[in-house]
Amino acid sequence: MAETKTLSKKAIRKAYWDWMIFNLSVQNFERMEGPAIVRMLANVREELYPGDKEKQQEMLERHTIFFNTEPFLGCIIPGIVLGMENEMAKGGDVQPEFINAIKTALMGPFAGIGDSLLPGTLCPILLSIALGLCQNGEIIGPLFYILVFLGIMFPLTWFLFSYGVKAGASAAEMVLAGGIKDQVTKAAETVGLIVVGAVTASYTHVNIGLVYTSGDLAINIASILDSILPGVSVLIVSLIAYVLMVKKKWTVNKMMILFLIIAIVGYFTTILTV
Amino acid sequence: MSFIQALLIAFLGWSSSIYGITVGGGLTGWYTLGRPLISGFLIGIIMGDVQTGIIMGAAIQMLYIGLVTPGGSMPADVNFAAWIGIPLAMAAGAGEEFALALAVPLSTLGVFAVYGLCAINLFFVHKQDAYIEKGELEKAARIPIIGQVTNFVMRFFPILIINYLGSGLVTTLVEMMPVWLTDILQIFANMLPLVGFMLLMRTLVKKDLDIIYFILGFILVSVLNLGMIPIVIIAAVIAYLKYQTSVKGA
Repeated sequence: MAETKTLSKKAIRKAYWDWMIFNLSVQNFERMEGPAIVRMLANVREELYPGDKEKQQEMLERHTIFFNTEPFLGCIIPGIVLGMENEMAKGGDVQPEFINAIKTALMGPFAGIGDSLLPGTLCPILLSIALGLCQNGEIIGPLFYILVFLGIMFPLTWFLFSYGVKAGASAAEMVLAGGIKDQVTKAAETVGLIVVGAVTASYTHVNIGLVYTSGDLAINIASILDSILPGVSVLIVSLIAYVLMVKKKWTVNKMMILFLIIAIVGYFTTILTV
Repeated sequence: MSFIQALLIAFLGWSSSIYGITVGGGLTGWYTLGRPLISGFLIGIIMGDVQTGIIMGAAIQMLYIGLVTPGGSMPADVNFAAWIGIPLAMAAGAGEEFALALAVPLSTLGVFAVYGLCAINLFFVHKQDAYIEKGELEKAARIPIIGQVTNFVMRFFPILIINYLGSGLVTTLVEMMPVWLTDILQIFANMLPLVGFMLLMRTLVKKDLDIIYFILGFILVSVLNLGMIPIVIIAAVIAYLKYQTSVKGA
C-alpha cells in the first residue's frame, strides 16, 4: 500500500456523525442513501483537497449515484469510501472508478448482513427481554432496551466506520473474499429463528374456548390439547401463517384480514375465547 | 389531550420516524425512540401515565417486533401506529386491544406516507446534482438537512392533527363499543403479533427445513418455560455447532 497520510480524528468523527444522522434523511426512489454520502464527503472536502475546488467538485460528482445498504452495520462502507478517497487525494494508487465499484459491490452483502443481524436478530432479542421485564408497565423494560441497544450500537458502528476509514480497500477485499458474510449471516439466521420461535410462544395467544358436553360430562378441549403439547393451538396457527406469508407471499394486510375473520368466526362459534 | 401534549407527541413521532434526524439519527431515533415500547414509555410521560403508556407500547411492540425493511421497502409502518394509536387509546381510556385495532389502518396510512416521500424527495436529489454542477458545494452538503422537510410534513402534521382533533371522537367510539366487539378485538389482537414474526421469518428462512429452529425456540418457551437469555445462549451454541460442521464439510 502506498504511504498515505491518515485523516485527522476530527474529520473522521465529523464524517461518522454526518453518516449516522443523515443516512436516510432524504430517502428517495432514485438514489436512496446517495445524497448522504455526498454530504459526508462535502463536509470533509477541505481536508481531502485543501483549497482545490475543482478536485472537490469532481469528487462529489462521482458520488451522485445510487447507494443503498443497511445504514448502521453497513456504515463500514462510507468509512471505506472515505478511506479510499483520502488515499487517492494523498496521491495513492486508487482509480476513481474503483471507489464506486467497491461501494456498489459491498452494499448488497451489507444490506443482507445488516438486516438479518440488526432489525432481524438484535432488536427482537433485546425487545423480547425488555417486554419480559415490564409486563405490568415497569419502567425497567424500556430503560433496559435503551441502555443495552445504544451501549452496543454506538461503539460498534464507530469501530466499523473508523476501521473502514483506516483499512480502505483492504477492508473491502477481506469482506468480499473471506466468505465472512455468509458465515455471519447463517449464524444470525439460526439464532434469529430460534428467538422468533421463542417470542412467538411468549406473545401470541390462541385460546380455545370449546367445551364438549355429553350428559354430565364436560370435556375442556383446551386442556386436552395442552396435555399433548403446551401451546399447540398457537403453533398450528403459526404454521398456517408461515405457509401463507412466507411461502405464498401474502401481504400484511391480507394476513390481518384473515386473522380478523378467524377472530369473528371463532368468537361466535365459541371455538375461540379471550 | 391538550395542544401542548399533541405538539410534543408530534415532535417525537416525527423525530423517531425511519427517516427522522432530529434526535441524532436512526440509532437513537428509529431504532430506539421509534420502537413502540419506547414510544409508549415517552407517550406515557407526556400523558401523565407512564405505566399505561408502557403497557400499550408493549402491545404494539409485539405486533412489530419483527419489522424489517429490506431494500427500503416498507411492509408496514410502525410510526403512526405507535404515535397516534397509543395516545388516542390512552386519551379514550381504552385497553391495549383498542390501540392494536387502530394500528391496522394507521399502518396503512403510514406506508402511503413513506412512498409519497420517496417520490417527492427526487426533487432534492436533482437539486443536489445542480448545486454540485454549479460548484455550490456547501449547498449540496445541506440537502440532507433541507430535504428533511418532506419527512416533517409527512409525519409531524398527521400526528399532531389526528391526535389533537381525534381524541374526542375516539373517546365516544370507545364508550359505544359493545362487549362482543372488544372481545373479538382481543382475540384478533392475540394473534396479530404473528404477522410481524412471519415478516421476519421471510428474511430468516432459506430452506423449508429451517422451520425446525422456529419450532425448537417455540418449545423452549411453551414446554420448558425458559427465559430469553438462556434461549439466546442455547441458540448461539447451536449456531456455533452448525458453523463447525459446515467448516469440516467444506
